[in-house]
Amino acid sequence: MRFFLYALSTLASGLVTLFGAAALVFASLRFVPGGYADILLGPFATPAAREAIGRRYGLDEPLFVQFLHWIVAMLHGDFGVSMVTRRPVIDEFLRRAPVTLELAVLALTMALAVGLPLGVAAGVAPVKAKRTLLARLVGAFGASVPDFVLGTILIFVFSVWSLWLKIGGFAPFSEDPILNLRTMLLPAMTLAVFGAALIVRTTRDAVLRVMTEPYITAAVARGAAPWEIVRRHVLRNAAIPVVTVVTTYFGFLLGGAVVVEVLFSIPGVGLYAYNGLGNRDYAIVQAGALLAACVFITINMLADMLYAVIDPRLAASGAR
Amino acid sequence: MNLILRPHRAWFSLWRRDSLSAIGLTTLVVLVLLGLFGHYLPIGDATRIAAGPRLAPPSWRFPFGTDELGRSFLPRVVLGIRATFLLSALAVAMTACLGTLLGMVAGYFRGATDQIVARVADVLFSFPALLIGLLIAAAAGPGETSAVAVIAVAALPLFVRVVRSVTLTLSGRGFIVAAEVAGASPLRIMGVHILPNIAGAVVVQLTYALSIGMIIESALSFLGLGVQPPDASLGSLLRQGSAYLTFAPWLALSSGLVLSAAIMSVNLVGDAVRDALEPLQGRSLT
Amino acid sequence: MSALIEARGLTIAYAARERHAVALDAADLTVERDESLALVGESGSGKTTLGMAIGRLLPPEARRESGDLLVDGHSVFVAGDEELRALRRDKLGFVFQNPMTALDPTMRAGRQVALALGGANAETVRELLARVELPDPDRVMRSFPHQLSGGMAQRVVIAMAIARKPLALIADEPTASLDASVRDRVMETLGRLRAETRASLVILSHDLRMVARHAGRVAVMYGGRPVETGPVERVLKQPAHPYTRALLRAGAGGEKPGERLEPIAGSPPVLAARAESCAFAPRCPMRQAVCSQNRPEPRAVEGRLVACHFAEAMLAERHAVEETKP
Repeated sequence: MRFFLYALSTLASGLVTLFGAAALVFASLRFVPGGYADILLGPFATPAAREAIGRRYGLDEPLFVQFLHWIVAMLHGDFGVSMVTRRPVIDEFLRRAPVTLELAVLALTMALAVGLPLGVAAGVAPVKAKRTLLARLVGAFGASVPDFVLGTILIFVFSVWSLWLKIGGFAPFSEDPILNLRTMLLPAMTLAVFGAALIVRTTRDAVLRVMTEPYITAAVARGAAPWEIVRRHVLRNAAIPVVTVVTTYFGFLLGGAVVVEVLFSIPGVGLYAYNGLGNRDYAIVQAGALLAACVFITINMLADMLYAVIDPRLAASGAR
Repeated sequence: MNLILRPHRAWFSLWRRDSLSAIGLTTLVVLVLLGLFGHYLPIGDATRIAAGPRLAPPSWRFPFGTDELGRSFLPRVVLGIRATFLLSALAVAMTACLGTLLGMVAGYFRGATDQIVARVADVLFSFPALLIGLLIAAAAGPGETSAVAVIAVAALPLFVRVVRSVTLTLSGRGFIVAAEVAGASPLRIMGVHILPNIAGAVVVQLTYALSIGMIIESALSFLGLGVQPPDASLGSLLRQGSAYLTFAPWLALSSGLVLSAAIMSVNLVGDAVRDALEPLQGRSLT
Repeated sequence: MSALIEARGLTIAYAARERHAVALDAADLTVERDESLALVGESGSGKTTLGMAIGRLLPPEARRESGDLLVDGHSVFVAGDEELRALRRDKLGFVFQNPMTALDPTMRAGRQVALALGGANAETVRELLARVELPDPDRVMRSFPHQLSGGMAQRVVIAMAIARKPLALIADEPTASLDASVRDRVMETLGRLRAETRASLVILSHDLRMVARHAGRVAVMYGGRPVETGPVERVLKQPAHPYTRALLRAGAGGEKPGERLEPIAGSPPVLAARAESCAFAPRCPMRQAVCSQNRPEPRAVEGRLVACHFAEAMLAERHAVEETKP
């Protein structure tokens, strides 16, 4: 029951955030000089065309009414029509979503596989051990080399020695799984390095913080073996910050890793939104930003509920 | 005091204690000095076209080679360092002031003010930085102002959240309550009593935000949405260089490595600051 | 049979960056089997360091400089990791100051007790919780720590400490974080369990009067070592060390109407190295030249161990005062 109330309040606050995100996107494109008609038609449109578009989108109505129309349209799945292909933007995004999802899952898996063990080891190790230095170095390196630098270096290296992996020439997983993996591994790796660094650093700090808690001393005093203490007490109590950062990272990946998709020509939502900007097809940009925020907020709501499962005190206090 | 009178001694003592931080600090100082004064160095003209052959490999005369217009690449990288540091530092500094103020007000007054500020931070946080970049570029056109705006949007929630939560815990503490009872105005309490106590958290967040700001600035410039030619930032130089990756890799690699070193130095210094401000020492499990 | 716990000239220092503080200054202490001993002192007196050293539960920056500590005849400082774990598991039980932080907040109490028992079934857990006088053990087992009151949580901690039938229970300010109304009852439970299991109980406390009710012997700590050790009734009725007397006069609780509490002037010392004089001398009303020249070593005076050059004078003064009373 308490958990149900907690979940409900999480849901409510997520919806409020979503509403705010929609308002921000709406405002960003309506308040620009030249107005929405300019964005839709370009600066050289005839007055007649402007008037037509104004009527169609209700641009002469008050902003608030326009906003409501816009929200209602989106609730019906109408995110606008691409200027270039004349097809609904939402269909284009849904068609590309599996590619971005695959990339995100691949990158997250790699980042977790490297980040979690290294982070726990660095947090548990006695201070000043070599492992701490290594984790700091890996953490600083991964968090510092931007994905496009790493991607460029990888492209350079793998264009000289191909080593089975391929750059570009993407094929959907359903058509050619092997070719798909050959093209996806490098971009996923590029994204995973930053994620791994983030996870190492967060896990190390969270574990280190738990290690200062009296209940760890109490467990040591009971003569529990180190591995048992880590498994039974440390991991769960250190989990919340790690879940937070993993959620944030995954949310950003799903929002479309624009740079990496552009760099490796991966036809996901990020590349689509970027090309939309290049073609002055602003409905795509607008929908892309909003959908990314949507996905991000949804994942965060799930994480909030997960927190309450991890730490029963949260559901009790109702605080986030 | 030691730091000012005998900087080399302070450096050696840092090096002995924590060599990684010492390397980071040294790199950061060198890069900032290069960014500030590098264009006075006799390393050649960043804008002179056909100073040498096109796309020449690194040599004594052109240590980083030349670009497709025959410009010496080293002075261009130095310009890029300047642009990347300046733009992101400017954006982060402005955001830090605003974010600290908002976070403090939210954490101190609580109630509706807090709800609104926290919600705005949530909303801003829910957009991936580069999609905000696309959105702002669509609305206001690409350029340096857009880049600053994107960094501000991405960094604001970082400051608001941290400052707000620290202020929330502080405002229940005895010395704040005592100041309230003594009749201090909210402005005085925030400025005199809260601000010094959150300064550490802000400084830590500042370095973190600066590294993120530099990543965002260079990513936007790399996508062609930030600094526009003929100006150069490390990201736009990498964009320029990656077009010739296969036959003139030094362009992309040199700018990419300098950029990575710059961000890494900021991160290492940030780690050192954080470890100094809140040392964590867990117990050993045996 | 040898003593259960024996500290011999144990010196432990904390090495913070470029600073060095001696927490235990050649401390000697003996805990017999089947007794209850209270280590009493102000914060910084070294009582917690000494108590935690029994299980070698010292923070990472603590260094043993000399001396040794034996539990059941085995040095805890020589023991290997596995041997040390076995010693903590089977021979020692710890009760901590704040039960709310000594219990894992994300695990139900029943499971934590079961783990302390080495993976027991619900029936054994229930019996153990009943032994520590917890009403409604089933509800407690299902609860998370934050759903328990402080007193109940401390009883869970006590249950975990006695789960493996230890030879010694070490309780660090076991009631300091509890409501005054439940303190005595928790202490009584602890004392009863000790007596039933014939284990020894070491109470670390700053509260002399609580100690008077629940311990058989007391060791008053000052400057990193016990300065007066002996049976409670003797030591508290007739202190032979000026510090013990000062502590008694400063403590509230037993005063008669009109009597003043006398705070101890000055503050406890932070030792940078072994004290070569009496550590209490700067605050001592009875100090003489010799006090700041010679380090008093513990010696037997009237059924107790005292580290004071003027222990006999202290006792004589007390006798004199009593004789002059009408």
